[in-house]
Amino acid sequence: MWLPVLGLIIGLFFGFMTDIKIPEEYSNYLSIAVLAALDTLFGGIRAHLQDIYDEKVFVSGFFFNIILAAGLAFLGVHLGVDLYLAAVFAFGVRLFQNIAVIRRILLSKWTSKREKIEKIDI
Amino acid sequence: MSRKQISFTFIMIIIGLMIAIQFKAVKEPIVRDTRDTWQLREDLQKEKDLELKLLREIRSNEEKIVQYETERKHSKEKILRDTLDELKMEAGLSEVTGDGIIITITPVYEKLLLGHAITSVTPDLIKRLLNEINRYGAQYVSIAGHRVINTTVIREINDETKIDGYPLSQLPLEVKVIAENNKAAELLYKRMQVSKSAEDFFIDNLRIEVMRPDEQITIPAYEDTIRILHMKPVKPKNGGDS
Repeated sequence: MWLPVLGLIIGLFFGFMTDIKIPEEYSNYLSIAVLAALDTLFGGIRAHLQDIYDEKVFVSGFFFNIILAAGLAFLGVHLGVDLYLAAVFAFGVRLFQNIAVIRRILLSKWTSKREKIEKIDI
Repeated sequence: MSRKQISFTFIMIIIGLMIAIQFKAVKEPIVRDTRDTWQLREDLQKEKDLELKLLREIRSNEEKIVQYETERKHSKEKILRDTLDELKMEAGLSEVTGDGIIITITPVYEKLLLGHAITSVTPDLIKRLLNEINRYGAQYVSIAGHRVINTTVIREINDETKIDGYPLSQLPLEVKVIAENNKAAELLYKRMQVSKSAEDFFIDNLRIEVMRPDEQITIPAYEDTIRILHMKPVKPKNGGDS
């Protein structure tokens, strides 16, 4: 449980400590990629909580979503259409849905736990 | 530690890295500007002063650049002028002063008394004399006030010896010779004193006297324009290399 959090901290640490810089014009792509990654991450957490987690789906989805989002943004820039907005919208909606599902699951788990405790008390 | 956790951790590291980089890329100054009008005005004034100062500096530097440029031009011009003067000196277009000797050609009066006719100096004799003094280290020569240069012609026209068209019939003739320096002049003087030319001149009833004045002698410049008939300037090739 704590290992992924540690991973996040390590990643942030390395990102801030090392002097990796991307040009201004590519920051759009990176933001889309971050969004896609977060979407996949929350999808993975939800799948884990629902016990339908599949490692292959998770890892491949992670990379594929990132590449797809960046590619879409790239295509949009070259077509003159803000296609990255489509990616932002899709990922944003899915992110909210996923988080909502996670919240519900956690909530139901919590309430069922409390009921159990109350039953024991009684 | 399951595979699930490992892959999650891996993905998390990547996400963290991406977020950090994105944060750095989009980071904007979050310092809010809380200055009021007067502070802004003061700051503006400061900046303007700085601008003025910088402009002044730029101007002075530009002036310096211009100064250097003109100096360079002048120096180039000076070099050209020096070269021109040098060439003029070599060509005989400028007056020269230096150590040297004066050779005076006079008729032999004793022979005149004996009834010999007054003869003028033949061009051959003068050429011979010139060759001799040139051989002995003469640098600049003038005959009867006419500068001898590379293109000087000495020839007989209508039974009259002429140098560049000026007659040399009036005796005595004064030949001024300047040597490279004092020592060379001394050497020239000694050699001319024992020269064979004296005998050659004596056959023609002429006598030469060699004098070595203490002060420096002056040889005038060539008066006429030098006409160049068979010389052409080399046309420089493309690109300016000649």
